[in-house]
Amino acid sequence: MKTIEEINQKIKEGEAVVVTAAEMTQIVQQKGSKTAAQEIDVVTTGTFGAMCSSGAFLNFGHSDPPVKMTKTYLNGVEAYSGLAAVDSYLGATQINQNPDIGLDYGGAHVIEDLIRGKEVELIAEAYGTDCYPLKKIKTYITLDNINQATMINPRNCYQNYAVAVNSTEETLYTYMGTLLPNYGNVTYSSAGELSPLINDPYLETLGVGSRIFLCGTEGYIIGEGTQHFTEADRHKGVPVTPSGTLMLKGDLKKMNPDYVRGGTMPRYGPTLYVGAGVPIPILNEEIALRTAISDEDIKCRIFDYGVPRRSRPVVKETNYKELKSGKIEINGMEVPTSPLSSYKRAALVAEELKKWIEKGDFFLSSPVKMLPNQGQIVKPLNISKPSKMVKDIESKPVIITHPTDPVKEVALKLVENNINHLPVVDSNGRLAGIVTSWDIADAVARGKTKLEEVMTRKVIIAREDESVDIIARRIDKHNISGLPIVDKDSKVKGMITAEDISRLIGKNK
Amino acid sequence: MKAWLKFLPSIINKSIISDTMKLYDIDFNILKANITPRGGKMLVDISGPQESESISFMEEKGIEVTPVLKVVKKDSEKCFECGACVSLCPVNAIGIMDNWDIDIDDQKCIGCGFCISSCPTRAISLME
Ligand code: SF4
Ligand code: SF4
Repeated sequence: MKTIEEINQKIKEGEAVVVTAAEMTQIVQQKGSKTAAQEIDVVTTGTFGAMCSSGAFLNFGHSDPPVKMTKTYLNGVEAYSGLAAVDSYLGATQINQNPDIGLDYGGAHVIEDLIRGKEVELIAEAYGTDCYPLKKIKTYITLDNINQATMINPRNCYQNYAVAVNSTEETLYTYMGTLLPNYGNVTYSSAGELSPLINDPYLETLGVGSRIFLCGTEGYIIGEGTQHFTEADRHKGVPVTPSGTLMLKGDLKKMNPDYVRGGTMPRYGPTLYVGAGVPIPILNEEIALRTAISDEDIKCRIFDYGVPRRSRPVVKETNYKELKSGKIEINGMEVPTSPLSSYKRAALVAEELKKWIEKGDFFLSSPVKMLPNQGQIVKPLNISKPSKMVKDIESKPVIITHPTDPVKEVALKLVENNINHLPVVDSNGRLAGIVTSWDIADAVARGKTKLEEVMTRKVIIAREDESVDIIARRIDKHNISGLPIVDKDSKVKGMITAEDISRLIGKNK
Repeated sequence: MKAWLKFLPSIINKSIISDTMKLYDIDFNILKANITPRGGKMLVDISGPQESESISFMEEKGIEVTPVLKVVKKDSEKCFECGACVSLCPVNAIGIMDNWDIDIDDQKCIGCGFCISSCPTRAISLME
C-alpha cells in the first residue's frame, strides 16, 4: 500500500499524518483499520522504564604523558576499560566503590550527571608501558571535553514484561521494586499500548538501522537485544510474557535529561530509566490493525517473586487495563498496583517524536536487516556444579523439644548436645517454634519456667527442596545462625546452621 | 489536624496527653513517637470539637505544638512519575491522577515513610 519512501516524501512536504499509539487505538475503533491505514502514515510509540541493560562507551582522549588505562572510576563507579588505552564502557547497574554510597550512586547516576552537563571525576590506573608511561591519573571530565560518549544498550524495550507479586511473609526488594508480603502489592513495568514492540509484535517494520527516539535525541536500533525471544504464547498477536528486545545506540552528547534518569531500586541497585520511542510506518492494513492494540487486549502474567528460581510460578493472567486501574484481585483480595515505568513520560516520548516527524525534523529509515521474528529462544546458564539442595545435606538426627517442656530440661538438652538452637515441635510433629540458648538465658534471668513463654514462634525455615545457596542468603539477610528444615507437611526434618552452609559451599568451590 | 508535639525532659513523665484526652474528649492518634530521657517528639493527629482548646491546654503544660499541613514533600524535579510508591502506601494517600501525575494526599498521609525509602530517585522526604 505505502512505502517508507512515500511516507518520507510526505514528511518532507509537511503532509504526513502522525498519531501516537494511544490515539491510533481510538482511530481504528472509530473508523476501522482500512480507513485508518489509508489516512495514517506513522504511529509513534514510547516507553520510559528501568532498563538495567544499558550503558555508554566513553573515549576520554589521550593525556600527556599518555596512559593506558586498565581501571577507570567515574565519581567512584568503575567502568570497564579492557579495551585499548582510553576507551571504557560504563554500565548502568555498576555500584559505587565507596561502600558508604554503594547502591545509592552507580553507573546510571553517572550517565545522568554527564547528560546534565555536570563535571565528573575520572580516576584511572595503569601498569605503564614504554608507549604509555603514566600509571595513575585523576582529573575531571564533562561530556563536552571528551571525544565520544555513545550510549549502547544491549537490551532495551522488552516486548511485554512480567508482573510481580510476593507470596512470602517478608518484604522483598527486587528489580521489580519493593514487594510487600502476603500479596500486598503488584508491580508491573511495561507501558502497555504505548510500548514500542507491542505495536509491532511480529517485528515487521523494525530492524537494524531503524531510526528511533532515544533519550531526547535520535538513536538507532542496531540489532535485536540480548535475550531476544520469539516463541512466547501470544494473544491477538502480542506475546503475553517477556519476548523481543532491542539493542540501541545514541549520542550521549545530544541527549536531553528530561528523557533519561538514573535511579536506585531500593536494596537492589542502580538502574537507568530510558525514554525510547519507535516510529511505526503504517505500510498496510495489517500493520494498522496491530498498532491499534488496546491495554485490555494486551495480556500479561503475574509471577510470584517469592520463589527465587529461574522459573517462577504464575499467579494469574491479567491485562494492562486492569493493572492501570490501580487495583487487581488476587485470591479474593483487592491488591494495589504500581507501574514502575513512567506512563506520563512514555506518553511524552510518543508526543515528542510525533512533533519531530510533523515538523519534518525526523525521517523514517528502512531497516538494512530485519530482526529475527522466529526460532529465537533464551538458553539458561547451567552451573557446572549444580547447586546442592537442602535435602542432600547429611543432617544429624534431629533433636527436638515440646512447648510444654520445662526450661531447665531444655537447657540440659542444649548443653548435652553442644548445640545452640532447638526446634520446638507440637504433638503432631509439626514445627511450633524455635528456642536458642539466648532465649534460655533470658528465661532464667526473668524467672520464666515454661518453654512456651520464651520460644520464638515466628520461625525462619528451610524447605527440603530449596537450594543451600538460597538458605545461605536467608541466613545472611536475617542475621541468624541456624534454621530448622521442614518437609511439605511442616514436619521437622533437621537443623541447618551457618557452619553447615559454609562447609558445604566451601566444599563446592 | 496533624501536629508535632515537642516535650522537654522535665515533663516527659507527666501524664499530660492522657489528661488532655480525658478533659477535652478528643481523638488522639499517635503516628510517630521518639521519646528519650533527653526529651521527645511525637507526630499526632488530633480531632474533635474541642481541638483548639486541647492544644492550648497542652501548650500551657509545656508541650511545644507545631501544626503540620504536610507530613512529606515530593520534589517535582526529582519525581518522574514512575508510580513505584503508589502501591506501598498503607493508607492509600498516593494517587495517580488522570494526567498520570503522582499526588500525595496530605490529609491521609500518616508519615510512615514507606514511600520515602521505596522511591528510586529519593524524591520524597519527611518534613521536619
Ligand atoms: S516513586 Fe518517586 S519518582 Fe516514582 S512516582 Fe513516587 S515519588 Fe515519583
Ligand atoms: S509517608 Fe506513608 S502514609 Fe505518607 S504518603 Fe508516604 S507511604 Fe503514604
